[in-house]
Amino acid sequence: MKIDDQKIRNIGISAHIDSGKTTLTERILYYTKRIHAIHDVKGKDGVGATMDSMELEKERGITIASAATYCEWKGHEINIIDTPGHVDFTIEVERSLRVLDGAILVLCAVGGVQSQSITVDRQMKRYKVPSIAFINKCDRSGANPFRVIGQLKTKLGHNAVAMQIPIGLENEAEGVVDLVGMKALHFDGDNGEIVRETEIPQNILEEAKAKREELIDAASLFSDELTEAILNENEITSELIYAALRKGTLKRELTPVYMGSAYKNKAIQPLLDGVNYLLPCPSEIENVAMDMDKNEELVVLENDSEKPIVALVFKLEDGQYGQLTYIRVYQGTVAKGSTIVNIRNGKKVKVGRVVRMHADQMEDVEALKSGYIGALFGIECSSGDTFTSPGINLTMISMYIPKPVISLAIVPKDNKSQLAMAKALNRFSKEDPTFKTFVDNETADTIIEGMGELHLDIYVERMRREYGADVTIGNPRVAYRETITQRADFNYTHKKQTGGAGQFGRIAGYLEPISDADFIFENKIFGGAIPTQYIPACEKGFKQSMAKGPKLEFPITGVKVVINDGASHAVDSSDMAFQAAARGAFKEAYLRAKPVVHEPIMKVVVETPSEFQGSVMGLLNQRRGMIIGSQDEDVICVIESQVPLAEMFGFSTILRSATQGKAQFTMEFAIYRQVPQSIAEKIALEAAQNKKSAA
Amino acid sequence: MLTNNSFLKREDNVIHLTYKDIVMIKKEMIYRNPLINLGYESEDILPNGGFGAVLAHAGLGKTALLVQVALNAMLREQPVLHVSLNDAVSKVDVWYQELFHDIAAKFDTTEINDYWDKIQPYRFIMTFKVEGFSAPRLEERLTDLMQQNIFKPHTVIIDGFKFDEAGRGQLVQLKELARKYSMRIWFTVHTHRHEPPQENGLPLSFLHVSDLFDVIVQLVAKGDEVYIKSLKGKSIDSGQNDLLLDPATMLIKDRQ
Repeated sequence: MKIDDQKIRNIGISAHIDSGKTTLTERILYYTKRIHAIHDVKGKDGVGATMDSMELEKERGITIASAATYCEWKGHEINIIDTPGHVDFTIEVERSLRVLDGAILVLCAVGGVQSQSITVDRQMKRYKVPSIAFINKCDRSGANPFRVIGQLKTKLGHNAVAMQIPIGLENEAEGVVDLVGMKALHFDGDNGEIVRETEIPQNILEEAKAKREELIDAASLFSDELTEAILNENEITSELIYAALRKGTLKRELTPVYMGSAYKNKAIQPLLDGVNYLLPCPSEIENVAMDMDKNEELVVLENDSEKPIVALVFKLEDGQYGQLTYIRVYQGTVAKGSTIVNIRNGKKVKVGRVVRMHADQMEDVEALKSGYIGALFGIECSSGDTFTSPGINLTMISMYIPKPVISLAIVPKDNKSQLAMAKALNRFSKEDPTFKTFVDNETADTIIEGMGELHLDIYVERMRREYGADVTIGNPRVAYRETITQRADFNYTHKKQTGGAGQFGRIAGYLEPISDADFIFENKIFGGAIPTQYIPACEKGFKQSMAKGPKLEFPITGVKVVINDGASHAVDSSDMAFQAAARGAFKEAYLRAKPVVHEPIMKVVVETPSEFQGSVMGLLNQRRGMIIGSQDEDVICVIESQVPLAEMFGFSTILRSATQGKAQFTMEFAIYRQVPQSIAEKIALEAAQNKKSAA
Repeated sequence: MLTNNSFLKREDNVIHLTYKDIVMIKKEMIYRNPLINLGYESEDILPNGGFGAVLAHAGLGKTALLVQVALNAMLREQPVLHVSLNDAVSKVDVWYQELFHDIAAKFDTTEINDYWDKIQPYRFIMTFKVEGFSAPRLEERLTDLMQQNIFKPHTVIIDGFKFDEAGRGQLVQLKELARKYSMRIWFTVHTHRHEPPQENGLPLSFLHVSDLFDVIVQLVAKGDEVYIKSLKGKSIDSGQNDLLLDPATMLIKDRQ
């Protein structure tokens, strides 16, 4: 590798949908000479932006999968992960953040900090990713970067400080003033590729001086040298300022803010300088793994290419030549021909081709050193797997993976589609841990599960386009769950004598509700009322019963089973008999334990112009929503609510028509909560009908 | 939404541990309610259309005290509108959750969480920018909620109102609003250290509106302890002593 560790940047570009991050990435690639022409996301030339490599992404103008790419800027190597902006794909965002060392938070100069930015920012906090901000779209009418900086402070709690001030806004956006170098920067040439430095225009000189003061003030908190220089009235050099700003940024106590317009090719180059100056290199970030041999003790990894390999698979893609596995190397060197072990299943693999990615083009390399992001060919694994050198047993901390909340039945039209569908489903469930698939034993339907309507929608579309699977889809179904609310005893005897060997088993004990686990089995039998060899069969029987409630047939959670008595027969008792006894016992006690249905409740945040506030609240209220509160911000109002997922189908269309398309909303899973009695009755009726039609 | 109180009713054939706990939490809450302890008979303290104020320097716990007043109302199934001119909705929500869990700390977590889910609909948080807040704006928002039967507040908490900047007119308008909708409004009043109190203990910047208030209490720090002192209202007459609060939770602390 030609570049030393200090000059590597692994960064992500995270933001609200439509704030222009794909356009920004496109410009970065252009200025760093990775591409030689610029295409817009929804461009007239039909080529689309380089990072949106999937056809579907191009059509919808959104980024679905985080394509990894790299480029070079002023001697630094920058690896970029383009992250999806929609909440339904947050697992992708979280996975990207896991492997990043820093991020650019892109905000819209008009829309400012929107609810999605808040979600993304929370994720960055969770993974402690230092960030700089870029206020994009300064050319748009209504652009006000300083209002956005204010929102960064108040809404996201960032200590945001402007690195630049704009030279003109909206139609008159010409360039920016660099507050560190105190120069005006203009961007000439057809695509803004020529950066021209001039003196600061007189009309904004005073403002620039004042903002520079603010910048230096903020930076001085992180550097004694800078404070000293200020107090002694010595010369304050750019190096001194950048060093202080860098310290603050790495501690996540300061967010330097750049501004410009990616679409109009304004001020992207200074942002790249900012990435070099202010975001961390891999060795400045502490990464930890868990030692499986030492009871998952945390081990700090060293960013040393000579040490044993520890690498994380953060993304899979199905390419022309088979599976492409994106990895981030945290320690050691993954070279062509080296042997690595998949910690999840203990399988040893020999590394074949090693490549570095530039959207959907690739470049072969000999090795990936620690700190690098790249891809391997022909390796069978799943997203989130850890690869290590043979002999060590470390795993990267598993990512938080939410359980799916919505499901859909899909039916292939013909045999060919059936095969294509199976292939696609296999791939998707490997790529995305929040996407699950299984076959319903009763209806023989293939069911897909995910995190929201759009999430599943995109996968169905991909199935059709990329795999040519012609499928029809059923109505989306909410992932209800059942649980019990009180203790109930059981004492059940399973007895069968129908010729040949009989079946006998008696189990007694009780069920009780628990909140911190799905299922606990406790054996309190003393004196061998049930022989020890049948206890596992009892547990298995109870566990089987948890898969489906006896009445509504939803999965059961939060049950503790305690067995304290029973009886067996020397000849007729068997594993099978005790399993059947356990199922019978569960059924007997379950209905007396006052079962209730729980439903997924989503956190729904709507941003709407104030004049529609009343009608939006009405819409949420009609959907059994509980409004937590409303936040009035000049012309915009943000309403936070919790709404059952079952009531949210088609909400986007209704919201659009109620607000003339001016409101937008985000939705994410919040908690499971008990369904009100009247709704539970409706669900029970539907379940009964489904059962009938399946029969 | 607001009339459903079936969760508090006892059914004959079921052992209701939860019911007992709820009663206990309510008792705990009332026992711990600093204002009731100042000698008020009605749990509402303020009459319909009444104004109450909690005065203190920054950081002494004005918001915490009023969140307790709000929680007390929520436990009685009385809807509370919390208007904050300082904090975001999520931050205000954290105040409630933390105080509720502090008070209910000795009860079973699952039941507490369930109970919190049940009383949460009795609270609505609205935040405004200080400069964007006015009585007509609040009325506009309230009408939105009331017309659609989404929320009708019984108690309103206004946190962060600038008494030194707002004229008397604003408060008179709010008072009319309180009367019109049969609400009672509690305010936090930020007092400044550089401003010496007048004879009646009230700061100068508050004097011009003090007659509009039925109850005025003040939080006073003495060393590491915080006292609640009545400046206007019932306890002045009833001769109650000042109450001592635990500065960590702002709950009443027993005098040892």
